[in-house]
Amino acid sequence: MFQLSHEPLIPWPVASDSAGGFVTFEGKVRNHANLRQVLRLEYEAYDDLAISEGEKLVAEAVERYRLESATVVHRVGLLEVGETAVIIQTAAAHRREAFAGCEWILDQLKHRVPIWKKEYYADGDSGWVGADAPGPNPELEAQLTQRQRRLAEIGDDGQVRLKAARVLVVGTGGLAAGCLPYLAAAGVGQLGLIDDDLVDLSNLHRQILFTVEDVGRLKVERAAQFVNRLNPTVEVHRHAERLTEVNADRFVASYDWIVDGSDNLPTKFLLNEACRRHGKPLVTASVHGFEGQLLTVQPDGPCLRCLFPTAPASRCVGTCAENGILGVVPGILGMLQANEVLKGILGYGELLSHRTLLLDLRSGETMSLSRTANPGCPVCGGGTDISDPCEVASMSEAHARLGVFIVVDVREPDEEPTISCDHVRLPFSTLDDLPEGNLVVVCETGTRSLRVAARCLAGGRTNVVSLRGGVASLAEYEPR
Amino acid sequence: MSAKNVTVRYFAVLRDRRGLGEETLSTESDTVGDFIRELVVRYRLDLAPALIRAAQDGSFVDDSTPIRDGAQIVLVPPVAGG
Repeated sequence: MFQLSHEPLIPWPVASDSAGGFVTFEGKVRNHANLRQVLRLEYEAYDDLAISEGEKLVAEAVERYRLESATVVHRVGLLEVGETAVIIQTAAAHRREAFAGCEWILDQLKHRVPIWKKEYYADGDSGWVGADAPGPNPELEAQLTQRQRRLAEIGDDGQVRLKAARVLVVGTGGLAAGCLPYLAAAGVGQLGLIDDDLVDLSNLHRQILFTVEDVGRLKVERAAQFVNRLNPTVEVHRHAERLTEVNADRFVASYDWIVDGSDNLPTKFLLNEACRRHGKPLVTASVHGFEGQLLTVQPDGPCLRCLFPTAPASRCVGTCAENGILGVVPGILGMLQANEVLKGILGYGELLSHRTLLLDLRSGETMSLSRTANPGCPVCGGGTDISDPCEVASMSEAHARLGVFIVVDVREPDEEPTISCDHVRLPFSTLDDLPEGNLVVVCETGTRSLRVAARCLAGGRTNVVSLRGGVASLAEYEPR
Repeated sequence: MSAKNVTVRYFAVLRDRRGLGEETLSTESDTVGDFIRELVVRYRLDLAPALIRAAQDGSFVDDSTPIRDGAQIVLVPPVAGG
């Protein structure tokens, strides 16, 4: 529930037998802001929109944090120091969700709900206050960047270019942990962050923008806070969503440089295409175990698909969760991404726009392999877009491609549940010969089954495909 | 057709699946594409050959490029993590 109120707010009692954690947050009018003495505040809302946006926000919080209930009441009108401006109340089975949900609502409220705040100061002045807009602070900026301005390649002119630059970082995980601090510290004017993920304990060995206390919180919120602590003059735009085909163009068009800090191939390819369409440079990196690779795609240079014209199935090389990853690897690659962006903005050195850098952090060895535009590239050349031949996206695609087939489950004997349609079970770890005929191979996630299909293809067998999404994708399948 | 000696380096998931980072071997394959297919089968690299890119002597090359005797070949698969 989301309400606006013209009357003073008082917390209300709530009770539920199934909720063990109740959080009530009261936001009050404070007597100072940015070193100025504040006498009172005025809140003004665009009522209908504020309520509909507020309701959406509350519903999202309930789902995201599995809350039993969430209620927000916001004051409008004139408020004196000490008065309550907003009350947020959350109830959940456990305290962690109740706390996290409450804070998330507050963070989101400031950005998404059209309520404006006017501060009245003791000196008689007054002013409307933006949500989180950092005030201009040339003196602080000058001090923060003095050592880099001494470099002939940067100087005061370069610093002005950095201040004017807008950089989008897609994904706020391990690569961003290496990249974001240096972009912020260098004085990049605007940083956009996209990620819909929450901080998890398993992230922290490499995603060092976050701490144990941040677990369960939105990554973009915490990363934005890190950036603004390091350099309060950076304007940070937080986008708590996933990059999709629908929103990619809008994001890419609004920035000058794009950093790919994502952890999956479809997002990397999507960014490559969007950057091409909008003529924006892209710095992409990816990591695996102890190794990483880095390349920059300039609007007129060879792109990522020039290198990989066949679109790989997303699970063809597994994920960090499956393969394991050493924490410093994305950190180092992320710093190299920051260096590419700085090179591009400031014009020093040579971009990795016609090379791919490979790093092996076991040996410390690097390889720089030259690459050229591919006339058969499906994005910037004349080639057609071909997907990984080993995978089908659904059972209906399997029917269309193979007609009649046998389902082969390659999960190990202890993996459950058993699938309901007719199938053959041949565990991956001991797999040797496969049955003759057309086969659709499944496993839990679609990683092992893809390996089996690729193995068959390499051996000349084209009638074996892996089902994307694993056994879950079989769920809706009605055998004919 | 004659045997050529080449040094092969495996990157990322190919290194995991091959079980080593570098080796010198002899091949009868004429082109880079044939050589990739040969290794995928021989060592069960479990990746569609079309997804593997090869660099010969420091430059990425397409699959029809002839293998040079004594070449340094780096095999690069897609890499996803971040």
